[in-house]
Amino acid sequence: MINLTVKIGGEAGFGIMTTGLFLGKLATRSGYHAFEYPEYPSLIRGGHNVVSVRISDENVFAQEKDTDVLVCLNLETYELHINELKKGGLIILDQEKVDISKSSVPNPKNPILAVPFSKIISDNKLEIVMINNIALGVLEAVLGIDKSILEGLITETFLRKSQEIIDKNLTAARLGYEAARTGLPDGYSVKIPKKESPPKMYLTGNEAVGFGAIAADCRMYVAYPMTPSSALLHYLAAKAEKCGMVVKHAEDEISVINMALGSSWAGVRSMVGTSGGGFALMVEAVSLAGITETPIVIMMGQRPGPATGMPTWTEQGDLLFILHSGHGEFPKIVLAPGDMKEAYEMTIEAFNLADIYQTPVFIMTDKYLLEGHASVDKAQIVNYQFQINRGKLLSQKELDAIKSYKRYEVTDDGISPRAITGMKGSLHQANSYEHLENGHTTEDANERIRQVDKRNRKFQTYLKNDARLPTVYGPKNADITLVAWGSTKGPALQAMKECKKKINLLHFTHVWPLPSKETKEILQSQKRLLLVENNSTAQFGQLLHMVTGVSISDTLLKYSGRPVDPEEIIEKVQTMI
Amino acid sequence: MTGTLNDEMTAGFGGYFPTWCPGCGNFGIWAALKNAFKKMNLDPEKMAVVYGIGCSGNMNDFLWVNSFHGLHGRAVPVAVGIKIANHELPVIAVVGDGDCYGEGGNHLLHACRGNHDITVVVHDNRVYGLTTGQVAPTALKGFKAKSTPAGIIEVPVDPIALALSQGATYVAQGFSGDLVHLADLIVRGVEHKGFSLVNIFQPCVTFNHLTTYQWYRERIYKLDTTNHDPADLKKAFQVNLESGDKYPIGVLYESNRPTYTDSLAQLSESTLVSRSPHPDRIEKLASEFV
Repeated sequence: MINLTVKIGGEAGFGIMTTGLFLGKLATRSGYHAFEYPEYPSLIRGGHNVVSVRISDENVFAQEKDTDVLVCLNLETYELHINELKKGGLIILDQEKVDISKSSVPNPKNPILAVPFSKIISDNKLEIVMINNIALGVLEAVLGIDKSILEGLITETFLRKSQEIIDKNLTAARLGYEAARTGLPDGYSVKIPKKESPPKMYLTGNEAVGFGAIAADCRMYVAYPMTPSSALLHYLAAKAEKCGMVVKHAEDEISVINMALGSSWAGVRSMVGTSGGGFALMVEAVSLAGITETPIVIMMGQRPGPATGMPTWTEQGDLLFILHSGHGEFPKIVLAPGDMKEAYEMTIEAFNLADIYQTPVFIMTDKYLLEGHASVDKAQIVNYQFQINRGKLLSQKELDAIKSYKRYEVTDDGISPRAITGMKGSLHQANSYEHLENGHTTEDANERIRQVDKRNRKFQTYLKNDARLPTVYGPKNADITLVAWGSTKGPALQAMKECKKKINLLHFTHVWPLPSKETKEILQSQKRLLLVENNSTAQFGQLLHMVTGVSISDTLLKYSGRPVDPEEIIEKVQTMI
Repeated sequence: MTGTLNDEMTAGFGGYFPTWCPGCGNFGIWAALKNAFKKMNLDPEKMAVVYGIGCSGNMNDFLWVNSFHGLHGRAVPVAVGIKIANHELPVIAVVGDGDCYGEGGNHLLHACRGNHDITVVVHDNRVYGLTTGQVAPTALKGFKAKSTPAGIIEVPVDPIALALSQGATYVAQGFSGDLVHLADLIVRGVEHKGFSLVNIFQPCVTFNHLTTYQWYRERIYKLDTTNHDPADLKKAFQVNLESGDKYPIGVLYESNRPTYTDSLAQLSESTLVSRSPHPDRIEKLASEFV
């Protein structure tokens, strides 16, 4: 089995992330699976950026702590990551900029490949930004990557630029390749030669959600930039015109969600995206969506708080905030995809659920899922079968058959037929005040109870029709069962794969509402549970306890701003058995 | 509301009978809105009225049209969203001074900038009615109310200057005591292609004993009786600035600039809500990630 990790580090603003992305694409185009984990500070220039790309001929679910190849474009990378280098791992460094003899960290016994990056740039009159392509040429030589794959990638990246620019970038890669080929030390062996494999997509969580939104025929996306969700805004804004979507960067998050509720009320599928602080501003309107029964999809990209917290890092710290968001009592649905495929599929599902239940639906993600790339077989995405289900949205013909239309008609399943303005016979109002069936304001006790009960019945209808129990991965009878939700799926699966003990995973994607009895049965039928969460207060554990009475005493909680590492799970499991 | 609405009640955009205080300035605005809608032959099912929260927002039950009664301060973004979804609908936001110039002030600025084709009808009575008498952002300096017993320190918001400076393309001011004139301003605002602000002076007979009907009658004058040119932005600022203790009513400014939805290529053939679903793009989009 091939298991290769390459870390590339340097100063922010020098294309570290692009190099990482290209390496991942080179790997997937060579027929391998890849998983990328980027780390960067909340700065535009300066500071330390590092991207880790894990490559395997088998499925790869998460990052690896240790690395086979460390590309140091500055001394800091060497000092911060040298201890992560595997035995025999290769150090690649910028010959002019990284003088490890000046470092207090001792010289390792690992082989070193010194590349004269700066000299190549100046000798050949290349531009400094082309350091990316020199590095990729170096990696081509080191990892045995097929030349045509790298040249193809560079050519298509600059397709819209002049032939001269394409040639310069190709030259940069070639010079990097030559420098590495001649200077490559003995002792390094992991290669990724081209092999046959079905085509793979390599995308981020932001892109998977955006792609899912387009597939779901979302026509309105409103957002205010906020890490880690901004790239979703960028992806959809770039696609908007071609895909017949309006993407609006509004003045603040309060406007964002109110605007989306306006467009949704007028009949178009609408989504907003944000992170904790931005969502805090949206909370009043979540409640408005609840009482007006307006469908809305909210993509919530968690990052460590409170307040500004650590903007470019990761956490699963907002689950209970989301569950309790919005004053008053009304149903909401929370989905938590664990990987790119689930992010795509659950975005489509979120739009259907929002239309079916006419209430807010959340897609809970985090920086870890949203900003890193991962590979997924293209066929798995394009062959995914789905229907656009708009629930009880009335056609004109259906509306014609209704004598006196009532927007908030009391029904057995709690869901009322929905007409939109512009339709004949649609006369109604959506009302943030408690209302009669026809939408008019009321303070009558019985009418109040009827509407509260009606809205609450959506919970039961959802539990009956759409709730999903956790997926069990791994052996049925395990000594230890990992319990995880959302993005910790990856580290958990990777740990399962590498751990010599008999463990399995219960992964929750449909985190609210939870069916009490069935969830309890599943939890109680396991030998021993280990709760794995990327927060400090075991929020999902608290929720499980609230719903099932089951309390999980063994926990692995990480809240350093870094994702859970598979190695940490294995370590924890070993202390338990 | 109690009782069922019957045809007689809902005729001519009517609804339940208002719960406003007798003599409230809202009655004049309500009547002017209904008259304006009738004059334009609007179809109550093919339009949208968005309300904020306040005495003005309570009009939701007295005006029988397709409507969205939103949150305090947030009617404008809802209206913008409706317009983007279906730019063929007339969209009117019925809001109050605290609603639009206080809680939701930011939204007003940005709706002006975007030239979103909506009409914002502001009930400006310089006081909070529904919360029983505190100062509004338009309260005159020194006004004594429950939240400012010693008199308000801040100077009033100037909604006209605000709208003019932020790019609104129709800026008008009316008086709830002059129905015919006001209805005409509303008609012109709704018919105007672009962002329209109609600021309406109205007395609050219960909580504001300063700016009464009488007070306004002594101070307002009609711009169309002067040589004011609404196409001239500088003059609009000037007439607003120089009014002193006199208040101009009428159209202060009107100009043409492409609306927000007119500037979106994806809306050139049909509205967002009525466009047909796209042919399957999944294969092509997926290939971009390979």
